Amino acid sequence: MVVIAHPAIAEDSMPRATLRAILGMRLQRWPGETPVKVFVLADETPEHATFSKSVLQVFPQQLRMAWDRQVFSGQGQYPEVIASTQEMLARVASTPGAIGYVKASEVTPNVRVLKIR
Amino acid sequence: MCVCSRFAKTTASIALAGCLLSWHTASHALDLLDGDFQLHGFASLTLVSTTDNNLFGQSDNQISKDFSEVGVNASWRLTPALQLSGGLLSRRAGGTDDGGVRLDYGLLDWAPMSSEGGRAGIRMGRIKTAYGLYNTTRDVPFTRPSIILPQSIYFERTRNLTVSADGAEVYVERFGEGGTLSASFAYGQPQTDTEAAKVPLVGLDRPGKLDSKLAPDLQILYEGAGNSYRLAFTALRLDLKYQPGYRDILQAGRFRLTPLIFSAQYNAENWSLTSEYALRRTSISDFGPYFYNGTFNGQSYYVQGTYRLTPQWEALLRYDAFYADQNDRDGKDFAAATRLPGFTRFAKDWTVGLRFDVTPQFMLRAEAHFVDGTGFLAAQDNPNPQALRRYWDNFMLQASFRF
Repeated sequence: MVVIAHPAIAEDSMPRATLRAILGMRLQRWPGETPVKVFVLADETPEHATFSKSVLQVFPQQLRMAWDRQVFSGQGQYPEVIASTQEMLARVASTPGAIGYVKASEVTPNVRVLKIR
Repeated sequence: MCVCSRFAKTTASIALAGCLLSWHTASHALDLLDGDFQLHGFASLTLVSTTDNNLFGQSDNQISKDFSEVGVNASWRLTPALQLSGGLLSRRAGGTDDGGVRLDYGLLDWAPMSSEGGRAGIRMGRIKTAYGLYNTTRDVPFTRPSIILPQSIYFERTRNLTVSADGAEVYVERFGEGGTLSASFAYGQPQTDTEAAKVPLVGLDRPGKLDSKLAPDLQILYEGAGNSYRLAFTALRLDLKYQPGYRDILQAGRFRLTPLIFSAQYNAENWSLTSEYALRRTSISDFGPYFYNGTFNGQSYYVQGTYRLTPQWEALLRYDAFYADQNDRDGKDFAAATRLPGFTRFAKDWTVGLRFDVTPQFMLRAEAHFVDGTGFLAAQDNPNPQALRRYWDNFMLQASFRF
């Protein structure tokens, strides 16, 4: 799994801690002030589980609980859940500030791949 | 009186939830403005039966249906730095809560400082009180480890004082390689204007009222390695004054409560271990001869394990202990001074529970509590302390829905 972003995003890599803060819905802005827009696949999909565990290194149920805690106390929002990899690619390519993930073999040229350091 | 009004309120709440749910099903999306506006909620009903004593209504040797929770919340991200959020809650809980709809929280969250290394901001309005690991979402069944939270720390009967406060909270978060360090400091007005807030402190049928000074609340939280462990420290200070009413036998007394909570949680892939310890310094003064004045340290802790048997099934085992006064753990001195049962000053609760997530939206739970002591029971449901029994069991079934 690789992290993908809208092609206009200036970064080509980011620290894992920053990625966790973005996926944890705590960091809402890219350095250039563009709003972050997070797309994920449903919790029960194998892609989401693999991304959470191996790229983010957070168990998917812990990520879900962190979102729940924020949404139900007025401190944050949920990411947008996308139905398929094709839709993930299309939405990330067309939404300024978007970030998501796909299998490395499925990356298309119209999204930017972010390296995690 | 309130059978009718209670029924009306419940019906109104269910109708409200029903409307929202049918709208949800019809439109299949509650995220408007490209997801910047979100609407979520939950509804939950719990059946309670106890072998003795009453919990959440008349549960002694019968089944009480007087515990339900319905909530709706909306959030609107105006800009990346600004979010407006509000939550309404209707909660029925035996004699302590009548299901009236109230503002659970309503706040503006402004985070002017934000970078890849952290963020800082301020929340203003009615803010959920940071108190241990579970308090900010204590009324949302899906976020709890069990049907009721460990009562030694998350009392149901004194909940109103710590549920949320009107004021401001500043927060700082640092996103480090090892984990996230967060600190928050809130200063706000706790909710003391209800019978539910007053009764657990001064007892039933008191004509006076309770006022609170602005309360400071500090929490420091470290979430390490992708939330695999979470460590927290919370310090809260409540300073309450009782204003006697007409022909009151109580004088203008004062409560000072200073709970300190240490929390730790370890999360593996299929199991979690959680423990919290609270030292609760309580000072009661100036109430006059007809009240229990004094300064004492209360002590609370629990150890809780949860295990995910399959992705849908989770089991829980917990030991939870509460002592109102650590120098009088069995309540003997209290009993001698007041002629009330000593076991009202502690509660030791073994809990086993099972959670079944039928779908991500629908959850069923079953839980059994084997309790020694009545320290966390509400006077509204148990008006005669002499009728309380020391050893009692409690069985609960809960169905919860969320969107």
